[in-house]
Amino acid sequence: MILRLNTDIASGVLGLVFGAVLWFPRGDIGRLSIIFPRAILLILALISIALIVKGFIKPSGRQIEITGSPRRLATVMIGFFVWWGVVEILGFLLTTLIAFFSLTWYLARVETAVTWQRMLKWTPVILVLVGVFYLTFTEVLNVRLPSGMFF
Amino acid sequence: MTFNYKTLALSVTAITAIGVAGLALAEYPEDTITYIIPFDPGGESDVTARFQEPVLEEVLGVSVNVTHRPGGGGAVAWSEFQNSAEPDGYEIIGVNIPHIIGQPIQRNDAGYTTDDWRIVTFFHSTPNALIVSDDSPYDTLEDLIEDAKENPEAITLGGSGTYSANHLDMLRFEQEADIDLTYIPFSGTGPLKGALEGGHIAGIFNYTMLGTEMADSVKVLAVAAEERVKALPDAPTFKEQGYDIVGGAYRGVAVPKDTPDDVVATLEEAFAEANRQITERQEPLGFVMEYITGDEVDEVMAMLREAYGPILEEAE
Amino acid sequence: MDMLLEALTSLLTFESMLTVLIGVSAGLFIGAMPGLTATMALAMLLPFTFSMEALQGLIALGAVYMGSIYGGAFTAILINTPGTPSSIATTFDGYPMARQGRAYEALAAATIASVVGGIVGVIFLLILAPPLARLAVAFGPSEMFWVAMLGLTLVASLSSDSLLKGLLGGCIGILLSTIGVSPVGGESRFTFGYPPLQGGIELIVALIGLFVIPELLTMSAEGRGALPDGGELRKKEVSIAKIARRIFSKPANLIRSCLIGQVIAIIPGAGGNVTSLVAYNEARRFSKEPKSFGKGNVDGVVASESSNNVMVAGSMVPLLTLGIPGAPPDAIILGVLLMHGLRPGLDLFTQSGVLTNGFILSMGLAALMLLPVGLLGGRVIHRVVIRTPYYFLVPSIAMVTILGTFALRNSMLDVGIMLLLGTAGYFLRLIGIQAAPIVLGLILGGIAEQGYVQTLMAAVVDPIPWLRLVRNPLSMVLAGLVVLGAATALVPMWLARKGLLDKVDDNDSGGSS
Repeated sequence: MILRLNTDIASGVLGLVFGAVLWFPRGDIGRLSIIFPRAILLILALISIALIVKGFIKPSGRQIEITGSPRRLATVMIGFFVWWGVVEILGFLLTTLIAFFSLTWYLARVETAVTWQRMLKWTPVILVLVGVFYLTFTEVLNVRLPSGMFF
Repeated sequence: MTFNYKTLALSVTAITAIGVAGLALAEYPEDTITYIIPFDPGGESDVTARFQEPVLEEVLGVSVNVTHRPGGGGAVAWSEFQNSAEPDGYEIIGVNIPHIIGQPIQRNDAGYTTDDWRIVTFFHSTPNALIVSDDSPYDTLEDLIEDAKENPEAITLGGSGTYSANHLDMLRFEQEADIDLTYIPFSGTGPLKGALEGGHIAGIFNYTMLGTEMADSVKVLAVAAEERVKALPDAPTFKEQGYDIVGGAYRGVAVPKDTPDDVVATLEEAFAEANRQITERQEPLGFVMEYITGDEVDEVMAMLREAYGPILEEAE
Repeated sequence: MDMLLEALTSLLTFESMLTVLIGVSAGLFIGAMPGLTATMALAMLLPFTFSMEALQGLIALGAVYMGSIYGGAFTAILINTPGTPSSIATTFDGYPMARQGRAYEALAAATIASVVGGIVGVIFLLILAPPLARLAVAFGPSEMFWVAMLGLTLVASLSSDSLLKGLLGGCIGILLSTIGVSPVGGESRFTFGYPPLQGGIELIVALIGLFVIPELLTMSAEGRGALPDGGELRKKEVSIAKIARRIFSKPANLIRSCLIGQVIAIIPGAGGNVTSLVAYNEARRFSKEPKSFGKGNVDGVVASESSNNVMVAGSMVPLLTLGIPGAPPDAIILGVLLMHGLRPGLDLFTQSGVLTNGFILSMGLAALMLLPVGLLGGRVIHRVVIRTPYYFLVPSIAMVTILGTFALRNSMLDVGIMLLLGTAGYFLRLIGIQAAPIVLGLILGGIAEQGYVQTLMAAVVDPIPWLRLVRNPLSMVLAGLVVLGAATALVPMWLARKGLLDKVDDNDSGGSS
């Protein structure tokens, strides 16, 4: 998918927005703590303005290209955040099993339809993969993974 | 076979009752204990916890997991602990003075308060020490003070962190001796050693450990302890030299506020035993072993709060 | 000399060999996992070393250290994800090589470079430790400021299409590094009133997010694996001997990278995160075909991997002589030394010389061990990555990423930050802002800030405080290098725009080998 977008202006605006997000709610910060970030914020603003000016005078790229399917991109993007959000509720193990299964199913559909037999064939592979990593982290590396409401 | 809901309900109730009673009667501890260190691996808190771990496991009879939750000079772990830890003694956390006194005063959003937990024990302290390098023109504390009187603010002393034990006691020293020095915070003892060796600062205001680690190349002008530290028998205290400065970092462990007394007592005993077994290894490094529990915890807290509070409030 | 021989004999036992082998393999695994760092690996090993003899414990630590720094190269090459921050520069050419079906060539080159780097570092440590240590302490606050600035001149070469966008990325990175508790002022800032943000944005969290997530998203959108399916092992075409010959026939790159690695390794605080980037940059600057860098030039991989493995032993110089940890994992080794009653200093090389030399030599042994372990392990991992269908690969990498990010600080918030930065990184890449300058800003922001503010604080009595930044000879030299570095990066760019360098450009674009 190809979108028309002046990338110079876009990155300039983005820089200004990012700077504003940090600068305005900053509250009361002592001199020693603000002196350095303030200097960098100033430089950021100057670069952003330079980019915007350049974007109007001599733009470098006028279009961006998203390779592959934008719908799959958006779905997987949202999927990752759902994965993260649900971990606290269902615990790491359960969430990851579900997320792994759904993601595999969703991505495998690109090539051919996914039959029940194929899903069944995946089950042991996924169980072992997730299980091995789960046990390595909890038992060998002593990491306390989020446990959620069940276990 | 007839299936009777009443029987089922009864048996479930019975089992639950036994279970609850069993829980109440069971001796703490019977499960893995998580020992949270709010700093990076490799630091003093971490190394001490690694020393304690095997002894604690032996005394308590369960495994003890040391995990790290660094961030914000400890604040991230402490705020999380106060908000979410269960008061059952299976989650304990390392606490450090003066961090837990200073951060809530100094930051708007530290996310925790100095008192909202129960401190089981402080197991060791590391007194502050004023250290200069071997080729420094100062041989005694008086030399340094004299020079500081002539050249206010010209003497730079490095320490670790801002409003840390180092910084606060240096500010107290300035008041006591009526001089002006310049404190420069570093991000830990590693860079501090380099800065002293390389002559980038005139001296350091850090813990006694640094004095022992660098014994070959430094002079320890004064130690902020009640009496001389075993690892540095030749270094005089501030008190000996007429300045009433006793302070440093205290390390201990805390549990959530409503933790039962017997659980706290068990932990107290375990940490005391750990202390006894690792004294031999820690004392030569410059640590001062402490067995501060119960009311003494409050006394120490009150003493240091009184010493540091005004300086911190002023800085606000 | 006697001591060295004695140390060598104490090392040539079955037990020591086994310790090194296991250590290197374990380190390799941990280093290859994004999120698991060398520091963490050593911290986890610490309790085990309590029960060991001092030498065996140190050997184990050294081997794990060496293995984990090298392990980062695997994921860097195969899935564009630096397993440790020190292999960021390996992705620049390693991954393009892999996409061209030359993954095994890249892996073998990384292995050979790492072995050479590791051994060079050991030699430096053995013969030059005391003089190098004196150089190490010459770096004070103002010098550190200039080191960070020098690092930032790399932005110019890391931003392939637009310098302005590269600089913008660098600024964004520096600003991200300022979130949390200020290193000098001690206050929390830019936390939006949310206490957990006091922890700031951990470099590795940002690194994983910015490098892995965009790659995963692209893989899902395109419905393909990390590497092209056709890319078989290709060991028929490129033998290890051939790769080795290619590397050793042009030793300038290797020697230069090792020297850079050694010099930067001894600067406390800069550490391996920067070494590989600087070495990569210089390799490109001195190359006859700079345009081919970033498109799969094996010299880029060699520069990055040799310099970061020099750092392993190299950073021990200030550690063993002065007790100053040159890189974070060294702090743990210092702890072990002190625990066994060994105080850093010259005594370490004389009184307990057998032990110290044994430790140093064991790191050389660990470096040698990388060759078989790395080549074998590389082949296995490579095969796994190629054979795994992308619909298994994407969720697997995502799972490991989430696990690793969480394990770093036991924080789900970090996982969220990682995903957020990663998603943002995908869109930033679309509009021409690459991940590398942002990460560079994150690495160097803290160093620059600390050096700058500390210098100014020390200068309260001076009439013009900032002059202190260039008061020492070393800081003047470094400041000069910054100007020079910026000039050599900018002037050709400017000339090219003016059309003066057209001819040279034509020649350059000819050649990737």
